[in-house]
Amino acid sequence: MNKTMNVARYEYLHHVVNKRFWLSLVSVPLGFGLILVISLLLSRFSFDTRPVGIVDNGSLIQIEPDNSKESTFFNPQIYLNVYPDESIARSAASTGEIQGFAIVPEDYAAGYQLTYWTNKQPDSSVQSVITDFISANLMAAENIDYAVLHRIREGSSISLQSLDGSQTSDGTGWHRIVVPAVIGILNFIVVMTSGGYLLKALVEEKENRTIEIMLTSVPSREIMAGKIVGNLGVGLTQIVVWVLLLGIAGFLFRSKLGFLADINLSGSYLVISLALMVLSFLFTAALMATIGAAMTSTEESQGVIGLMVPPMMFPFYFFNVFLSNPNGILARVLSFIPLSAPLALSLRMAISSVSPLEIGLVFVVIITFTLLMFWLAGVVFKRGMLQYSRRLRFKEIFKKETRNA
Amino acid sequence: MSTIIVDKIAKSFGATQAVQDVSFEVRPGEIFGLLGPNGSGKTTSIRVILDIYQPDSGSVTILGGPMTNEKLNQIGYIPEERGLYQDVPLDRCLTYLATLKGLTEEQITERLPKYLAKFDLTDHAKKKAKELSKGMQQKGQLIAALIHDPEIVIIDEPFSALDPVNTQLVKDLLIEQRNAGKTIVMCTHQMNQVEQLCDRLVLIDHGRVLLQGELSEVFDRFRTNEVIIDSLDPLPEELNGVSRIEQLNGGYRLTPQAGLSAHQLLDELLAQGIKLNSFEVAVPTLDEIFIKVVKEGNGKHE
Repeated sequence: MNKTMNVARYEYLHHVVNKRFWLSLVSVPLGFGLILVISLLLSRFSFDTRPVGIVDNGSLIQIEPDNSKESTFFNPQIYLNVYPDESIARSAASTGEIQGFAIVPEDYAAGYQLTYWTNKQPDSSVQSVITDFISANLMAAENIDYAVLHRIREGSSISLQSLDGSQTSDGTGWHRIVVPAVIGILNFIVVMTSGGYLLKALVEEKENRTIEIMLTSVPSREIMAGKIVGNLGVGLTQIVVWVLLLGIAGFLFRSKLGFLADINLSGSYLVISLALMVLSFLFTAALMATIGAAMTSTEESQGVIGLMVPPMMFPFYFFNVFLSNPNGILARVLSFIPLSAPLALSLRMAISSVSPLEIGLVFVVIITFTLLMFWLAGVVFKRGMLQYSRRLRFKEIFKKETRNA
Repeated sequence: MSTIIVDKIAKSFGATQAVQDVSFEVRPGEIFGLLGPNGSGKTTSIRVILDIYQPDSGSVTILGGPMTNEKLNQIGYIPEERGLYQDVPLDRCLTYLATLKGLTEEQITERLPKYLAKFDLTDHAKKKAKELSKGMQQKGQLIAALIHDPEIVIIDEPFSALDPVNTQLVKDLLIEQRNAGKTIVMCTHQMNQVEQLCDRLVLIDHGRVLLQGELSEVFDRFRTNEVIIDSLDPLPEELNGVSRIEQLNGGYRLTPQAGLSAHQLLDELLAQGIKLNSFEVAVPTLDEIFIKVVKEGNGKHE
């Protein structure tokens, strides 16, 4: 056990005490953040905040436009200017004072048709501003309070409750799928990077023959267990650092992130999702160890790893199927496959009710798969690591086992 | 009691029979030579001894019983090629490998600087293995094999990539280990080193043992009564008492007639007026024995 921990410690420190590791670790969220900031800035700078004109030929306007809301960088406003006739509005548009103007025709009530005059494609906000203003005036004509309009537009929120009362989910919006989506992405990145480290280490040890010295020092299963534990630690370090960075970013921009309060994070949900991620990592690490031991070169093993990506991404590919039928056959089957389970089950738990029995069964199946993969990795590691020039054959894997395996 | 007993081991890989019916013993405190041409089955035999491979049949007894995890700590091993992490500083690599042999951090802190100094690697300790010369890497591997003070040291080609100065350093080290009672198994092609270092040897080819025994026994077995002379004048084509004359570079190899000993041949030559600068009994080199035995073995296989 000591030697297993020695191997694990070395594997962990070898990666973590390394500038490149921290550079890549920080560059991932920074990269995402940078892309987000750039896209926000591009969006903001392309947003036309010039006022929009209104010419009322239909005697519709009874209330003045509400231009009191302050326009800020993060929350830009489009104000409305009412013009007495079309020529003045056209002149303002020609000089660029306004971005365009809408004309309320004399027979507006006949067809509720407006004409918007402009030389550029208007932003969707322009249409909202105009239709809101027209709606408010139509309602004012009927003596209905303007606040009622907002109430009608917001609609009602629906809370879901399972029949036995054990599962609750609020609303049907984006915030219900954001957590499983983040879990899926984190799982993919962590598994592929730290699993990739494991594979790289194995192939290198095979190529530089260090494995021969190791095998004469530590039983092969202890070597493999140590490597998997060490690389699991690397993966968990990645998650902890990213969560910390997200936490810091969330704290710094807390005033702008009020919408995150809509996200419902229960303790049991997080524990189940994290446990699934760890199990999925262990399974994938054992699978990578098997591939690394059986293959003869880095290039050869990379090709095989490519085959692991689709199963991990299946829940993303079939996102619509999950949303429309979270307890259908496809969603359930993917919940029992170790590579897709973290995303599949956490997504299902977020948008529907999954019984504790089924969750328990998923864990039993994935633990069984993981143990079998560990056994297979142990055998392949033992037999394949010393085959430098040719790939391990399938039938050789199941020959009589040795003491050291 | 022998330190290592290899008893009729056989190991095949698919259709390839790597070793077959190989038996030999390595005694405590000796340097044992495991010899053979490339692909003869030496490395497979070593891996079976080290329990990396399980033999298809036969058995290996090591330090009085089968291999155990505890006995792994009593063995130091250097594979033929490389064996160090190329992208890791030498001292960190050696520290890690030493922990895998059961050494504590205190023991490593005490021993590693001494070994680095002994092998003149102190100034290179922070360099990555890939930045070191092959000879330095070989010395690094020797440290990895010896730092835990093993009872058995198994070295594949210990002198490859070493210059004469470092070759002597390693030879002295192996002798020092033997004098300290350690058992050393040495795989090599360099027969001159075997002649100088090994107490006993086994020669393997095509996975079978062709020859084994104490070094002196092996020489005796292949000793002939041929002599090598250096004469002042060219020899005639025929001489009394000589069945064959072979001209060498600066001398002659003479094969005496059956029943004639070397000193009787000397008397015959002097009686025939041959003026000699030198006269010596021809002892075959280990190289010659190696080639002869392997060729004969190949003949049998063909």
